[in-house]
Amino acid sequence: MARTLVVQLARLGDLIQTIPAITALKTVDPEGGVDLLCPSVLAPIGQLIPGVDRVLEWDGTLWQRWAEDASAGLLPTHLERAAKQLEALATSRYGTAYVLNQHRRALLAGSLLADEVKGPLLDGPLGTTLAPWAAYVRDVAHTGRGCRVHLADAFCGLCGVCPPGTPPVLINTSHPLPADLESLGRHGEPWVGLILGAGAVERLVPIHVWKELVVRFLETVPTSRVVLLGHERERGQWLYDLLSPSLVSRVWDVTGRTSLRDLAAILRRCHYVIGTDTGPLHLASALGVRVIGWYFARARVHETGPYGVGHVVWQAEDLDGGGHKERTDVRPLQWPIEETAGLLMQDQQFQTMLRVPGWSVWTSHCDRWGAYYTERGSLSSPPPEREALWAELSPLVLR
Amino acid sequence: MNNLLDNLEWLGKTAPALAEAVRLAPGGVLSLLPSREGTVTAKCGDRWIHSSYDPRKEARSWADAQFKDWRDEEVGVVLGVGLLYHVEALASLKQDGRRLAVLVPDPSVLKDALGARALGRWLETVEWIWGHPSDMADRLAGLASPLRFMTYAPAAGLHEAVHREVEASLRRLVAARQSGRLRIAVVGPIYGGSLPIAQYVTSALELLGHRVTWIDHSVHHTSYKRFNSYQDARHRLTMQGRFAELLSLDTVARLAEDPPDLVLAMAQAPLTAGVLEHVRKKKFPTIMWFVENYRHLTYWRQLASSYDYWFVIQRGDCVEALRKAGAAHVHYLPMAADPQVFYPSSLTETEQREYGADVSFVGAGYQNRRLLLPRWLSPEWTFKLWGTEWEGAADLTSVLQRGGARIDIETCRKVFNATTINLNLHSYNGPSLDPQADFVNPRTFELAACGAFQLTDERSLLPELFADQEIVRFRSPDEVPRLISRWLHDDHNRREVAEAARRRVLAHHTYRHRMEELLAVIGLRQPDRIGAVLRGDRNAGALAARAETPPELAALLGRFPPHQRVELKDVADNIRARGASRRLAREELLILLLDSYRSETRDLV
Repeated sequence: MARTLVVQLARLGDLIQTIPAITALKTVDPEGGVDLLCPSVLAPIGQLIPGVDRVLEWDGTLWQRWAEDASAGLLPTHLERAAKQLEALATSRYGTAYVLNQHRRALLAGSLLADEVKGPLLDGPLGTTLAPWAAYVRDVAHTGRGCRVHLADAFCGLCGVCPPGTPPVLINTSHPLPADLESLGRHGEPWVGLILGAGAVERLVPIHVWKELVVRFLETVPTSRVVLLGHERERGQWLYDLLSPSLVSRVWDVTGRTSLRDLAAILRRCHYVIGTDTGPLHLASALGVRVIGWYFARARVHETGPYGVGHVVWQAEDLDGGGHKERTDVRPLQWPIEETAGLLMQDQQFQTMLRVPGWSVWTSHCDRWGAYYTERGSLSSPPPEREALWAELSPLVLR
Repeated sequence: MNNLLDNLEWLGKTAPALAEAVRLAPGGVLSLLPSREGTVTAKCGDRWIHSSYDPRKEARSWADAQFKDWRDEEVGVVLGVGLLYHVEALASLKQDGRRLAVLVPDPSVLKDALGARALGRWLETVEWIWGHPSDMADRLAGLASPLRFMTYAPAAGLHEAVHREVEASLRRLVAARQSGRLRIAVVGPIYGGSLPIAQYVTSALELLGHRVTWIDHSVHHTSYKRFNSYQDARHRLTMQGRFAELLSLDTVARLAEDPPDLVLAMAQAPLTAGVLEHVRKKKFPTIMWFVENYRHLTYWRQLASSYDYWFVIQRGDCVEALRKAGAAHVHYLPMAADPQVFYPSSLTETEQREYGADVSFVGAGYQNRRLLLPRWLSPEWTFKLWGTEWEGAADLTSVLQRGGARIDIETCRKVFNATTINLNLHSYNGPSLDPQADFVNPRTFELAACGAFQLTDERSLLPELFADQEIVRFRSPDEVPRLISRWLHDDHNRREVAEAARRRVLAHHTYRHRMEELLAVIGLRQPDRIGAVLRGDRNAGALAARAETPPELAALLGRFPPHQRVELKDVADNIRARGASRRLAREELLILLLDSYRSETRDLV
């Protein structure tokens, strides 16, 4: 029986947001086998996605090197080794490849590995006609307005399936941490994972802001602990050095020294995870951890807020009134430090005064149309736009 | 057991003539000694040819390093015989089907090697190239494969001159066979003497059929000159330095937008070491043609290791100095002339009156010229002096033309053609002739290309470029008046000399010849990239005809004219141009996939 391949060659956050689509595909065809093609570096996480039988690792660096070789002078051997690499990835062709990236290379990879490709283009890997859901995602990415369907649910639409209606959850496997990190999450409570990095420079929070938040939290909750996370070793050291000696004993700096599986194991031991980098935030939410996100620059809660129930996102608002035709970067003038600390402390008094100029605050939910966010302090009824959009873009699916 | 006889028997199976030559050779070039670990090692005079501790280990390590770059389709050519430890190590690494050749400049050395130890069957697997250097070059060229030269320096050093001769012959052969089309970026200076040469080089490369992008920085000269107006020299130097850095980045941006196969920079091109390092990381071979006197302009010291190849107009000390400063490959490449620019022309009477004279000199007012030219004025001949920087040369005011204004190239050619005797005195900031007179200036070639008669000061490198019957030289300033008198009224012989010089230039000394030579050097050093393109191996027809080319790829290549160089991008563009909606073949998808990564590799800036 022909198997199904899901192609997701983008970054960590996109991979996690692919889980609902895989879940939905498995729901439609519980007996059908589903494999996943993802970047090699993300394979350890891909292997934790429920419903995936096999993870095919895409070594982009290798392809890049081969492309450089072939650019220097095309030889038949360049195609031969590329073909061998694909044969090593998949010994037989897939029936259908669901391609979730708009980059042509993902479509080409899908076309090479499967008989049929369903994805962002309707007319093949060289085509120009976008599938309805792909057009929707593109418009949202460009304008940043009018979006109430979460990207993960749009991926479901691209695959021709409805959202599963439940938050994505990764398989819980034991992963041994290095000995010096083994005690993380074991003593004291609550543990907060603070992600210091961001996918882009414009989404970095100044270190002194993080320092204020950490100090406020640690001073107020004497049993609490903080783990500094992310790739950016220097930022971790910088923040660590700014803390007073009385606080550093309750702070673990693991920046720049964790593998993805280590990161997942550490996140799983946290009670909260805070940050701006959507990739690790999505990972944390898929591990069942409560997430507090600070979204600014080009990040938007309705598209890429952590998928699940009870996550909180602070969204920096465009104070110009959002009158731009194109999506613009929103740069906060102040930060919701006290308010976030209040949320961490579960302080009811704080929870009622979550107003910060330039920011709105949103809470996540999940229903049959997928994930949605409602603004705190207002009614939590789901936005009706989603159903209408599904009816417009996927009428056959709804039937 | 007699090692020599046994080994000769093995050698004789594939190279009987060489075996016989070895048998007759006296041997005894190498002194054989025991190494610390017990095997035999060798010295030549005071020079160790192999390790005194462990020659096998040393040879293995050398062979491993060579093997990394050696590709299946290339013939490995070992320079340096010694006791053949290194060849044996290489032969043990190579898989069946790979070809390994060894150059044998002196059968006596091979006799020492064959007598020193038992070698055995692997001798049969090697192609032995021996004989006269030009014969060896013929044999190598006849192998019909890319050549990968592997130099075992301690042994090769014994026959450097022969190796150079072989390489020179080979370059000539390779140059004559160049058929492929390279993309070459020529980076010119902001101003100065190498600027017109950058233009000549560009034209020559285009004439050879290559696609050339001239990155012309002379358009920024006006801005650059503006910085001269600062009163404080530090300000000027800082601003001009920063400006040159900016232009260096501009060069990189241009390379990124249209990536070439190689980057050819002319002397004074504004490329910094940092930028060159960046360009090298992106695997663009970089070449500097340093058309300057290395003793006067010394910035080559800071950039020696930054270029992959240096071409210089001086031999000997210049080449050594660059190597010591870190240059990996240094080659002598003399100046030349562009016969499209410098050619014999008839002038109108008016022009003849304006530009003509019995004796002329065109050039800038260097110290030696200021002191010597007045000595060569005479009431017996008319004299005209053209060029700039003659301020204060009172003795020459009466002959200086146009008040010492700069003259353009066309005017220059007219002066050459209109003058009976052109003086060609190489520049020198001293009182007389250049005591280190080696390189030959462009004017020598340009005058010859015009069919103009010249009297030139003697240069050590001149005799290998022009015969005595082609250019008349003087060795001391005192000879000049006598030579002028001698040739001024001898129209017939003067014309014969000038015409012979012109024939020589057209046959051997145009920029086209120089660029053929330059590309042949790089082609030999980079057989898999530049060499392959030059040989035409990257042309559609050659690629399609390769045995390993699958029919589907051959069909894609068949869409191009057979002699057109085809690259990944070309094939991908062709696939895209054939329409989006059709079902793509696997090879087409693979090409497009590779191309999607290629288009992301231009992160040069």
